[in-house]
Amino acid sequence: MTETTFNLSLPISGMTCASCVSHVEGALKELPGVDHVVVNLATNKASLVYNPARIGLADMQRAVEDVGYGIPTAEVTLDVRGMTCASCVAHVEGALKELTGVQEAVVNLGLGTARVTYIPGAVTTSTMKRAVRDVGYEASERSDGADALDRERQAREDEIKRQGRNLIIAGSIGLIVMIGTFYDMLGPLKAIVPVFLSYKWVIGLLTTPIVFGPGRQFFTNSWRGLKHGVTDMNLLYATGIGAAYGIALINTLFPKAGFGGEGATFFESAALLTTFIILGRWLEALTRGRTSEAIRKLMKLQPKIARVIRDSKEEEIPADEVEIGDLILVRPGEAIPVDGLVSEGYSAVDESMLTGESLPVEKKAGDNVIGSTLNKTGAFKFNATRVGKDTALAQIIKLVEDAQASKAPIQKLADWVAGHFILGVHILAVLVFVFWFFLGYQRFFDPGSRFILSPYLLGEIGVFGFSLLLSVTVLVISCPCAVGLATPSAMMAGTGKAAENGVLFKGAEAIEKASKLQTIVFDKTGTLTKGEPSVTDLIANSELGVIHGESTLATPNSQLLILRLAAVAEKNSEHPLGEAIVQGAESRGLALVEAESFNSIPGHGVEAQVEGREVLLGNRKLMRERSVNFTQLMGQAEAFEADGKTVMFVAVDGQPAGLIAVADTLKEYTVEAIQRLHKLGIETAMITGDNRRTAEAIARQVGIDRVLAEVLPQDKAEEVKKLQATGKVVAMVGDGVNDAPALAQADVGMAIGSGTDVAKETGDVILIKDDIRDVVVTLEVAKATMRKVKQNLFWAFFYNTLSIPLGAGLLYPFFSLIISPELAGLLMAVSSITVTLNTLLLKGFKSSIRRDDRPQPGAGEPETRLALLAANSD
Amino acid sequence: MEPEQFEKEVARRSAFIYLPISLGAALLFFLAASLVGGYPPVAKIGGMVWVGLLSLIVSMPIITARVKRQAGTRVGNRQ
Repeated sequence: MTETTFNLSLPISGMTCASCVSHVEGALKELPGVDHVVVNLATNKASLVYNPARIGLADMQRAVEDVGYGIPTAEVTLDVRGMTCASCVAHVEGALKELTGVQEAVVNLGLGTARVTYIPGAVTTSTMKRAVRDVGYEASERSDGADALDRERQAREDEIKRQGRNLIIAGSIGLIVMIGTFYDMLGPLKAIVPVFLSYKWVIGLLTTPIVFGPGRQFFTNSWRGLKHGVTDMNLLYATGIGAAYGIALINTLFPKAGFGGEGATFFESAALLTTFIILGRWLEALTRGRTSEAIRKLMKLQPKIARVIRDSKEEEIPADEVEIGDLILVRPGEAIPVDGLVSEGYSAVDESMLTGESLPVEKKAGDNVIGSTLNKTGAFKFNATRVGKDTALAQIIKLVEDAQASKAPIQKLADWVAGHFILGVHILAVLVFVFWFFLGYQRFFDPGSRFILSPYLLGEIGVFGFSLLLSVTVLVISCPCAVGLATPSAMMAGTGKAAENGVLFKGAEAIEKASKLQTIVFDKTGTLTKGEPSVTDLIANSELGVIHGESTLATPNSQLLILRLAAVAEKNSEHPLGEAIVQGAESRGLALVEAESFNSIPGHGVEAQVEGREVLLGNRKLMRERSVNFTQLMGQAEAFEADGKTVMFVAVDGQPAGLIAVADTLKEYTVEAIQRLHKLGIETAMITGDNRRTAEAIARQVGIDRVLAEVLPQDKAEEVKKLQATGKVVAMVGDGVNDAPALAQADVGMAIGSGTDVAKETGDVILIKDDIRDVVVTLEVAKATMRKVKQNLFWAFFYNTLSIPLGAGLLYPFFSLIISPELAGLLMAVSSITVTLNTLLLKGFKSSIRRDDRPQPGAGEPETRLALLAANSD
Repeated sequence: MEPEQFEKEVARRSAFIYLPISLGAALLFFLAASLVGGYPPVAKIGGMVWVGLLSLIVSMPIITARVKRQAGTRVGNRQ
């Protein structure tokens, strides 16, 4: 076997000519362990023979990349059925990763999926499916969108039906087995129960179809795994059920064989153990699908029909056949089929299902509309701009799916523990058997002892039967399925809940990190502030008296006069401060006439002739040069500057007329968001290119703890790094495009206000709305999810830690009580159900922001609206 | 060599290792039970089978994975 060689066909990218071929061939031939290489330029492939003991694909990839070419990878998602615990996850991942050509495999137990990154040509999806089947599971390739939803739902329903059928068979026969076993204790009921049901051979006959019917799955699955060297919980069940049934059968058929005789025929153990395990699987199948409801809800939102206008005629076509540029008509109450740009009409659209925004958003010509949102009031037409996989909804679904399929570090640890647990349990089962066989039975066995919660006496059971019973109980009670479900189920529920609130996590790791955040750095412009200057203060010179018949006393009217004159002067200016003044005047309803003359003074301001007056507008230096004395207003001007505002001086006819302060204003919810973060114990920091005085003034208004001022855009990432170096877990909140390096550097990058074009965004978390309070929602969802993960892991490990010693007979020397295998099976099922139900409590999560918001008229809960919309779109 | 053939070869070579180990553990149990004395033959044989079976279950995946690793299938992208 030392000379094992494989044939391999590798795709190569970047080759353009014959010399490329020789480069790639040369690079591969030089590698030790590569025997033969042929590179084909036409097919862009390298065929080679290699010895896997001497060379790996990673070496080949490196060698090809070193000479300037690449080996492209692809990704496929497989639906994997039959996984029930964390060890199943480890086995499926292991089976996939062992395949030559598979670079990465991430299995999600909750979703029942395996996401595989592979080199096309080196491995095929059918090889992957075969590898999964070989270790005892079923696999099929996952398709996109509604088809995937249908298939997933179908698979889940099939599993529920299958286990339900098994449960009815095992449960009903198991009940008869129970009645027969405890016939002697039935009292007056004996009159209606036929006595033959208590005969051992009848009980054996009844148990046989349970073990080989509904229980057959455990034997076949564990055998398939064993053949490939993997052990899973099916093996625990198979050995448990098999041992109980086998010994009972021997004791019935050969009572003198020495295994305890008729007094130790535990057929009911085999029957009820099978029933309880199947009950657990059935309940798990029922509840597990509910944790992934978020995706299902999102998928349900996709409208099926679009009303397209072609050749001036309305035409109803399937929504997935809409093409970019199609003109689409939407009537009140209808869902918008794809993303687009409104060309005609006016309406209010409920976007809450995608953005979490509770109030309907007004739409008029030129506004964007998002596919799958609900048109409320008017009718409008729009041109499709994004269709199919590019729509906002499709991108969001992909993002949530990817997040749910990823693994948090805590889950990797849990999976590793559970994956190695099964072997540990079998070793423990050997030790328990050996202990009770050689030592325990002789010292502690009491023929009058009984099982916990059972009147059934152990009676004449022998040393072998007793030791075997305890060994089997350890196998059954130790199943780590609750450990396997603990993290993924909570992560799925958490990412779904976040998506409902307009917060998209890009992976489970982001949730875990977000729950540990200590410091949040906000980019100032566009994040804390609106990013555009606006008029904040107006001061009229009270000592000036009257200008050409109009009072300039410091009254509201005189302030508006100053603003109007300044705005007219700036009307033709393209300077941002000038635009702010014009907008300020317009927003106050001031009519702006045309200036008689206009002159821009670069770097200083403007001068203009307005309604016969000489208006001069600009900075302090301009006023000094023109000898306008602003001494009376200078104190006021300096106070504005101390608050980070830019002051514009206005002179009329050579006299100081007033001041206009302009500043970048805070967003509506900035102060509230920072206060709420402080309540959560988070340190806040602001990063900006502004000078320190301006930056500190804004920080004071907002309540920010730390100011990082005068930072150039390219140095923002460095500042984040410095904070991290102090040992803090840091998040950066900013524009997903401009702040990309800082978002990438932070432990958690949050891209805010990205709208629904989520695919472009960098960062670990995407906040769809332009509402900074969603940073608080992000933290609250992350903390609630991780709390749930920890609770689940606690209960799962607590259960195993407590139950294994009990199953091993720890109580027996003191109380002469042991746990029967069937009770162990029931406890195991209960532990999984407890974890899943605990996770489902996350469905009731509501962020403090939403809790405190007063209900808006006409705006129900997102869930309610989701349901309404789903009903409309079906 | 095709992957399936390779798998078969790994399984065959692994069996040469884990079967003697399991058998050894089972015989050791039988020997210990015989030396301690006082056990009915059925208990000794039953115990031997149970210990042998559990030893097989424990050693089979460990040995198979090890043999596979040595044979080089794990070499590659996870190096």
